[in-house]
Amino acid sequence: MKYSAMLLLAATGLFTLQAQASSTEQAPERPDKQAPLPSFPKMPEQTYLTPRPLSAIPDGAFGDKVRLGYQLFVNTQQLRDKYVGNELNCTNCHMDAGRKANASPLWGAYFAYPAYRKKDDKVSSFEERIQGCFNYSMNGKAPASGSPELVALSAYAYWLGMGGLMDEAKISGPVPELSDTELLKGAKREDFPLPEGLAKVMTVEQRANLPGRAYPEIPKPELAYSPERGKEVYVAHCQTCHSVDGQGQAIAGVYALPPLWGPKSYNWGAGMHRVNTAAFFIYENMPFGKSMQLTHQQAWDVAAYINSHERPQDPRSKGDVKQAQEKYHNDSDYYGLSVDGKVLGTESYPVFPKKS
Amino acid sequence: MKINTLVISLTLVSGYAAASDTPVQPTGAMPPSAQLCVSCHGAQGEGIEPLGPRLAGLSSEYISTQLHHFQKGIRQNATMMPMAMTLQGDGIEQVASYFSAQQVKTQVTPLIRGKQVTFADDTARLAYQGDWSRGLPACVTCHGPSGLGGGLFPRLAGQQASYIKTQLLAWQDGARKGDVDGMMANVANKLTAAEVDALATYFANLK
Repeated sequence: MKYSAMLLLAATGLFTLQAQASSTEQAPERPDKQAPLPSFPKMPEQTYLTPRPLSAIPDGAFGDKVRLGYQLFVNTQQLRDKYVGNELNCTNCHMDAGRKANASPLWGAYFAYPAYRKKDDKVSSFEERIQGCFNYSMNGKAPASGSPELVALSAYAYWLGMGGLMDEAKISGPVPELSDTELLKGAKREDFPLPEGLAKVMTVEQRANLPGRAYPEIPKPELAYSPERGKEVYVAHCQTCHSVDGQGQAIAGVYALPPLWGPKSYNWGAGMHRVNTAAFFIYENMPFGKSMQLTHQQAWDVAAYINSHERPQDPRSKGDVKQAQEKYHNDSDYYGLSVDGKVLGTESYPVFPKKS
Repeated sequence: MKINTLVISLTLVSGYAAASDTPVQPTGAMPPSAQLCVSCHGAQGEGIEPLGPRLAGLSSEYISTQLHHFQKGIRQNATMMPMAMTLQGDGIEQVASYFSAQQVKTQVTPLIRGKQVTFADDTARLAYQGDWSRGLPACVTCHGPSGLGGGLFPRLAGQQASYIKTQLLAWQDGARKGDVDGMMANVANKLTAAEVDALATYFANLK
């Protein structure tokens, strides 16, 4: 009780400070309700797993699944209206088609599942983790368990990771083919089939924590993050690609420069709606191609600016923003908070709308 | 010239110009301010190699930004800097609007990313998938599928190879600036001389 009263006081204090600048509520510090798998600060001089080139994908049925996985990953829009309800593609957040270290690479995730996820309060298989991406990041409706799309994405993730691990361990030859059932489970388990010799090199736990997995954590900002300062960062460094209104830019119908908020972007349940996740992603991966480095403070501020806009509803919400906020939010995000006189979540865009 | 005078007189007579100091051009007609551009860029902005690049297919936003850059010396070019200075008032807007409205004669069917998984040609792979081991993003991420361009990102498909090459070199040596956060300079500086040549030819031939 005392603790929460202190928090409340602290939050009120912050709010008073902020209120002078604008009407945006400060997201309070609370226990994290939907923390992703932990990420780690980036280590200097660290080397990372290097996936094999796509030209090494073998011919045949297994290789076809891997190739399809790649194609779905970079052009997820081919699933629009079937499983996808926004304009994003997986590769928007997982750079270099899920191969790049420190950009939540697929190979890092594959060896980290099955894993307990706070968000779902259960142990999720790799397939279930991807289903989450469809429901939240893609604002869609996840393909059913065992569907060809989930098999393909799992096969691609596995192939990237296993090829890289084999090369590091100097184990030659093609990546061993696995059954769909094995592929969908993910690799963080004692009974995961490995090429001979690999089990001796690394434990399951080591494979689950490959350097470069997730987005590297950055220190908390010196000043409480602020959408107002974030807007200045956005105007200076982001809007050329993502547009003044955050709606990205389409060329030939493809949003390679993705919308960041509004009806065409990720919904209120996606990991990226959290200010911390977005700040980690941005600091490490933006501006695209990294011609310059934003400061930690700039990354936090611009993440707050982007994520204090309305977006598609949290699919877990049962219609009551306050209730959904209490149950799923209030950790490092703006859902249920008042920004410019409007409570975010109350005018959310639809979940899984048809492309008009 | 006669036609232009006639058009202007008609416009004046019909009273459209009453609200503005400059005569309003009927849609599609070349504004007088653009006449100077024609000798190097062609009447429809089709480009005349090696005098001037194609302007058709570029956005109005892009053309006007570049003209401002020439005026301010952010983009340096011995011919274009004085040319841009001749555009006063809303001259830049008129020229940009005229040339951006011109159609590119050849149709390019865009190759959507992911359609092709592997590329035998290293240059096509660089254009479509980049080379992240060097921090090089794919050209098509910003310039669009098949380099069709849009907004502030110029169309590359079918542009003159000599021009694309000159520009990549200008980004490298700093004669061309004005990109936000040096994004394009950063990319250009990672390209080898051979890649500059190959990419210029690759995009020029996407017709």
